[in-house]
Amino acid sequence: MDITPDSGLEEFRSEVVEFLDTAPTPEILEAGRKTTSVFAPFEQVMAWHRILHTRGWSAPDWPEEYGGPGWSVEQRYIFATEYQKRGLPPLLPNGLKMVGPLLMELGSPEQKDRYLPGILSGEDYWTQGYSEPAAGSDLASLSCSAVADGDDYILNGSKIWTTYAHHANRMFMLVRTSNEGPKQAGITFLLLDRMDYPGMEVRPIIGLDGAPEQCEVFFTDVRVPQSGRVGAENDGWAVSKQLLKHERGGGAQSPMLRHRLDVVREAAAQTPSAFGGFLADDAAFQRDLGELEAEVSSLEHFEKLAISGHPMVKDRAYPSLNKILSTELTQRISTLMTDVVGLDALPDQRDALSVGSDTEPLGDDLSLIAMPYYLNSRATTIYAGTNEVQRDLIARTQRP
Amino acid sequence: MDFTYTEEQEQLRSSLVSALRRNYTLAQRQDIVASKDGWSPAVWEQLTELGLTAIPFSEEVGGLDGSIVDLVAVAEIFGAHLVAEPWIPSTVLAGGVLAAFPDLPEARSLLEQIAAGEAIGALAHEEGRGTPDPALITMEAERTGEGYTLTGEKRMVLHGAAADIVLVTARLDGELALFIVDGTAPAATKFTTIDGRPAAHLRFEATSAKLIASEAEARVREALNRAIIVLAAETVGAMGALLEQTVEYAHTRQQFGSPIGAFQVIAHRMADMKLAYAKSRATLLHTTAVAEAGQPSAHDIAVLKTQVGRLGRSVGEAAIQIHGGVGMTDELPIGHLHKRILTIDALLGSAEYHARALGAPRAAKVDGSAGDERQPSTTEKELFHADI
Repeated sequence: MDITPDSGLEEFRSEVVEFLDTAPTPEILEAGRKTTSVFAPFEQVMAWHRILHTRGWSAPDWPEEYGGPGWSVEQRYIFATEYQKRGLPPLLPNGLKMVGPLLMELGSPEQKDRYLPGILSGEDYWTQGYSEPAAGSDLASLSCSAVADGDDYILNGSKIWTTYAHHANRMFMLVRTSNEGPKQAGITFLLLDRMDYPGMEVRPIIGLDGAPEQCEVFFTDVRVPQSGRVGAENDGWAVSKQLLKHERGGGAQSPMLRHRLDVVREAAAQTPSAFGGFLADDAAFQRDLGELEAEVSSLEHFEKLAISGHPMVKDRAYPSLNKILSTELTQRISTLMTDVVGLDALPDQRDALSVGSDTEPLGDDLSLIAMPYYLNSRATTIYAGTNEVQRDLIARTQRP
Repeated sequence: MDFTYTEEQEQLRSSLVSALRRNYTLAQRQDIVASKDGWSPAVWEQLTELGLTAIPFSEEVGGLDGSIVDLVAVAEIFGAHLVAEPWIPSTVLAGGVLAAFPDLPEARSLLEQIAAGEAIGALAHEEGRGTPDPALITMEAERTGEGYTLTGEKRMVLHGAAADIVLVTARLDGELALFIVDGTAPAATKFTTIDGRPAAHLRFEATSAKLIASEAEARVREALNRAIIVLAAETVGAMGALLEQTVEYAHTRQQFGSPIGAFQVIAHRMADMKLAYAKSRATLLHTTAVAEAGQPSAHDIAVLKTQVGRLGRSVGEAAIQIHGGVGMTDELPIGHLHKRILTIDALLGSAEYHARALGAPRAAKVDGSAGDERQPSTTEKELFHADI
């Protein structure tokens, strides 16, 4: 075992700190403070993405040949930690962590040339068209159809839970190209190079937190080019499984969760306890916080093992373990956050929460975000395959 | 960053596993535990031959110059196989504390015997509830004409009544000091712990003792932190064994016409066991790597002890539940593994204690920048949380 720190890393850290302390605009910092989801406020996070890109740091995990900075595992972890310490809005994952890596692996040379630069630079936002009203975690039940017609496909059906589709200019999706054989065998992976094809309609859905983060997208005889297909026709299930690996297993969540927990810890020192003194002095609160502190540390250790290439990453259950660990911890922290905020979590502050709003927030930053964060976090154990499905997958790997 | 065992360590592990599978089945182990002394000198000799009593000590005292990683690599396997020989009391606790004083000739000669497996050591440190931290030890040492005497009680001294070398922590002029007493001198209340190990409460009544080191607190703490890592490794090993045996059982045992592992409720509970194991093992390997590189922080140690205590208990409880009635019996390793986990949780501060330490307000920073100006509610808190 070797984790000897490299002295060059401290120099790297100062370079990161210097940039992260000076580059974000006030709007970007505000967006960070008002982030209550995996998905930060759209305009500001994309602006921040483009600023990071000019520094060459928009895609820390990408290989150098595709425009990544070529950082070591330690450097990436330092970057993530310093990034989260400042509460900066996390870049949107769909392009950088999902369709980007997928195209590197399975895209054609033309597709890579055409799409990767826009993902890297933050010019494009890709929405994910997977789920349908009758096909969520049982994704293979999807029915949105693509029928070949000359060089095109003609699409009919709908997609749901397409995050930020109302902001997107591109979409990656799964479509049904055949009804024969097992249901997994008739699925094709498709890239749409625009969102305004005739016959396409995007309708935002208002979530529990009051925000239009998710959308529904309807297709009525929409004609799109077949050149957007990744992999072979009817081979989309295998393609999507590659992508799911990135979606469930990618990136380090612990720096963000540590930041959130630190915010809770600080707030508890100022929050009066109904039993006298401050909440921070209450034994029951201390144990709850301490357990979460230990859990965040364990997730951190788990993620460090993973990025160091420890053999457990090769465990077939790894993406599911990772997904469950980070999402359930997210929920537990969001719960403690609302506990600390107490009554101040109750006012509906949607107006104050939008970036650039003139509405004066009631209470502090934490009381502004606690409840929307808690409500939004309910989705973490549902998306990317519910945690029940993940447990099924883990259990399947345990069968002798 | 590299958190894997070396090829050499993996080799040691696999030879140890095959030796234990051959000579240390549960039935054999239970006979040993039920014997008069509760451990087997013959097995001890084998462990000594494999070098396991010498691993962490310097070559000067006959040790192998091994690291904390070597200890952890072995302890995981000891945990999985419920090895009851006094490796923790002698090699890890007594040896670990002595090894913290490499400059003292007295400590060196005692270590030679411990490293060779010729003498069994014990560390009398805990004084009952609430003294997992060396700063909280209250036993006073008194100066007499020719030396020192100790008065008071030490509790839960592993191997305490049968050790050749009994080390005792006590206060001398307010500072924590380390003493050695004649193994037969203190009055011992002997008992066997729930996981089948010999232990004792030791009563000292002006018992004469020899001073080994004064102002020993920092080094004792360091040694105890390393012992916590090794104990955690035993828990993680036990968790792995519980998971493996439970998965195997659930796919064999038929109820309602199917293996019970096919029922989703059971499958999910086993997935949770695996999650708990993955978290605990990741935390163990990380803390071990940090300890090898230098000193783990109080935070690192508290995280580890919290996690293996809580998660270990949850894995053991799930294993018993999934095994059903048979999991309640003495005949399967399941209950014994769980009892080992419970024992380790109680030693050197429980999960509850360490979790509260993690959740308590952080002490003021040295530069006073974001300091906590409120008064800590107890001295204990102040002492323990100094660097969490």
